[in-house]
Amino acid sequence: MKMRVRLLAVSGWLLGTAAAVLAQSPNPSVTADQARALFQNDVHQAAGLTCTACHDQAKGDQYAAPARAGIPKLCGSCHTNASYMKQFNPQLRVDQYPRYLTSTHGKQITKGELRVAVCSDCHGAHGILSVKDPRAPVYPTNVAKTCARCHADPARMTPFNKPATPPEEWSQSVHAKALLERNDTSAPTCSTCHGSHGAAPPDVENVALVCAQCHVREAELFRKSPKKKLFDSLAMPECVTCHSNHHIVEPQDSWLGFEGDIGCAKCHDDSIGGADVIKGDRKALDDLSAAIAAASDRLGRAERAGMIIDDGRAALREASDQRVLARVSMHAFAAQPLADDAAKGLKSAQLALADADAALAEVQYRRKGLAVATIFIAGFLVTLGLKIRRLNRGE
Amino acid sequence: MTSDPGGISPAASDGRAGRRSFLNWVLGTWAGGVLAAIGFPIVRYLQPPDVAEPATETASGGPAATLAPNSFRIVPFGTAPAIVVRLATGELRAFSAVCTHLSCTVQYRADLSQIWCACHNGHYDLNGRNVSGPPPRPLEPYDVSVRNDQIVITRRA
Amino acid sequence: MASLGAWLAERAPVGEIVEFLRHKRVPQHRYSLFYYAGGAALFFFIVQVVTGALLLMYYRPSAGEAFESVQFIMARVPFGWLIRSIHSWSANLMVGVVFAHLFSVLFLKAYRRPRELTWMSGMLLLGLVLAFGFTGYLLPWNQLAFFATRVGTEIPSSIPWIGPSLVRLLRGGPDVTGGTLTRFFGVHVAILPGICTILLATHVLLVQRHGMSTPPSIEQEIEASRRPGQSLPFLPHYVLHDLFGWTLALALLAALSAFFPWELGTKADVFAPAPAGIRPEWYFLWMFQTLKLVPAKVFGLEGEFVAVVAFSLGGLAMFLLPVIDRNTRTSRRIVSWTAAALLLYMAAMTWMVLRGGGQ
Repeated sequence: MKMRVRLLAVSGWLLGTAAAVLAQSPNPSVTADQARALFQNDVHQAAGLTCTACHDQAKGDQYAAPARAGIPKLCGSCHTNASYMKQFNPQLRVDQYPRYLTSTHGKQITKGELRVAVCSDCHGAHGILSVKDPRAPVYPTNVAKTCARCHADPARMTPFNKPATPPEEWSQSVHAKALLERNDTSAPTCSTCHGSHGAAPPDVENVALVCAQCHVREAELFRKSPKKKLFDSLAMPECVTCHSNHHIVEPQDSWLGFEGDIGCAKCHDDSIGGADVIKGDRKALDDLSAAIAAASDRLGRAERAGMIIDDGRAALREASDQRVLARVSMHAFAAQPLADDAAKGLKSAQLALADADAALAEVQYRRKGLAVATIFIAGFLVTLGLKIRRLNRGE
Repeated sequence: MTSDPGGISPAASDGRAGRRSFLNWVLGTWAGGVLAAIGFPIVRYLQPPDVAEPATETASGGPAATLAPNSFRIVPFGTAPAIVVRLATGELRAFSAVCTHLSCTVQYRADLSQIWCACHNGHYDLNGRNVSGPPPRPLEPYDVSVRNDQIVITRRA
Repeated sequence: MASLGAWLAERAPVGEIVEFLRHKRVPQHRYSLFYYAGGAALFFFIVQVVTGALLLMYYRPSAGEAFESVQFIMARVPFGWLIRSIHSWSANLMVGVVFAHLFSVLFLKAYRRPRELTWMSGMLLLGLVLAFGFTGYLLPWNQLAFFATRVGTEIPSSIPWIGPSLVRLLRGGPDVTGGTLTRFFGVHVAILPGICTILLATHVLLVQRHGMSTPPSIEQEIEASRRPGQSLPFLPHYVLHDLFGWTLALALLAALSAFFPWELGTKADVFAPAPAGIRPEWYFLWMFQTLKLVPAKVFGLEGEFVAVVAFSLGGLAMFLLPVIDRNTRTSRRIVSWTAAALLLYMAAMTWMVLRGGGQ
């Protein structure tokens, strides 16, 4: 009798704990059959592992989910073992677990906080796919969705005093568009800046280093500019201060000025010493844009009139390329090299315009030529008509 | 419409003949103008233009002598730019200069001995292969030859 | 000048030809205007030969160069734009005029005895002109032409047994490729012109031999009035009228080329999916639309095959028309009404496609 009560108590406690653990996990619990079906697509199954590799406490057909707090260590027991992992894939890194421990998720789990991500939350439990597999939750185009499961949920974020807005903000950014619409997997997603296993908000200095991986010229110019020292002294992060961290949208030329409260106007008004430089740079960009628009319009007209304007289109392309360079040069926060880049672009735009004008002039020349030919033909027809009339009258 | 046989005075018929030959003269002049309007374009058409043939498969890479080793040149190839590189060894290489990431025009970095795209730090090796950064595909390579000190780049079949 | 004429007359049958033409007369009545249609077609054909020969100076018939060479002609060769636009416009005007010529002959019954051979050679010429149009359309190697050719050369595949081989013969392979382009080029500049010259010479000689036909209604009027019908001497009256019309046509071609230059489009990309709204040239639209409207299965046979057979039988019937038509009042009336129905059908089908319906 005592034995039975004890058994009941223990199993009740076990069930309660299991229920509590499962309640914490974003992964809904699965039956053994469902798990087996999912496991058919798992990379571990392909490597020859079976259920007991992780469920080492299994008895009969009862597979309890491993304790949540112990999952990282469980996965790490193989994934930190370099000689063990080498037999499956010599290229695989084995530092995921140590990095995880440096992450915010890892630090919290160590403290006993269960409401943070563990390995299975991002990678799945039974149908784990390689990060190179487009179906995997950790494939670049899916990462944001995976992170958003918690980080876009206010109910989960508020207990930690964190906003639930970053995923939504990122989804409106140019990088999200590049990644999700153009399938450009080089575009940054959450893990690109925050790290994947060592996920943590980047420090003030660090974000810019990440941006500089792709945006090299902007970073170089910024670092040589007067702003670098200033930002450092004010503990203002590079790049993020003007461009935001998540809601990175396409910058407009109008940011280079004092309108609204974006760009320069965020901190300055036109009474500052460098206002002339700003205005000068802005004018150079505006003039270039105007020239490009005019050339594009004129080339379109020439094309519609039936002319072929390949040279003009090539020049316009060069002008657009120069405009991109000029906008990048803005990050020197000086008159040069933006002025030079814009001037080169302006020259190309003018070449394009000249080509368009030449084409349109050619159209006019052709019409004049036609008019001359028509005069001859008309004169001939009138005279011929007279002759025919004469003939018909019998002369 | 039968012709009027007789009943015309000699003076009138002279007048008529005079008017007829004048009309024929005018007609002939206008006809000459029409024939000139037809002939002039045809004659001009047959004269070859400055560029003898379309740049389809080939384009000019500029003079060979002025392209120093370890330097490059951007030239038009149809409507898109092409890059001609002279390696440090003196060998010439040519590729499409359109970056396969977002179509910026690439350049040659002598310090890296690589082709580089300034827009997002894409790197290509000297075989055109994308080796680092965002570009997803290699640059299209062209064949290079030198004719009369002019570099000629040709699209590969 | 006169001595040169005498020198020639001694050696070539110039005198006999001029004598013959001097006696030739062209009937004048309310339908005489239609007599000019044939000559206009001949004028456009001559324009095609001249401009075509000029285009041959710069055009290159390979998939890698065709488009660029046409672009070269349009942009770099002096007056290349004019020669090319005239060639394209004249082609379309020629087809239009040839159909006008066909229908005027149908309605005015000019195919009656003894002009059966004239009619038959004319029908063959019609086929040749359409073949010229079809093969020439591909030569710039642009997107529209490439896909239209693919669709058009697919149609014979519905014919049982010989269909697929016929398609292979047309395309120079199973698909439309650069091989098709070269093949079409050879047909367009050598084979068709060769056959056309012979047929055209036959056709024109027969027309001269028999003179212009007078429509039955006019014949009856003349008989009833018991006076000889009005007529115009061929030389110089009719020739000058013809010249007038030809010069007018030339002015039209020049104006069209200057104000509506023929467009080039984009180079054919064989790997791209077919752009929406692919269709053949306007003179094939009525057949194109018919094929689209025919149900998938007709009496258990493939719909497209039935349509091809129907067109072929129709063509054959028209070819044999002078033999079929008994030349009675009734049979002539049947021909007129059938021709009117056909014209209406062709117009309706064409209009349907142009309006964008029937998708």
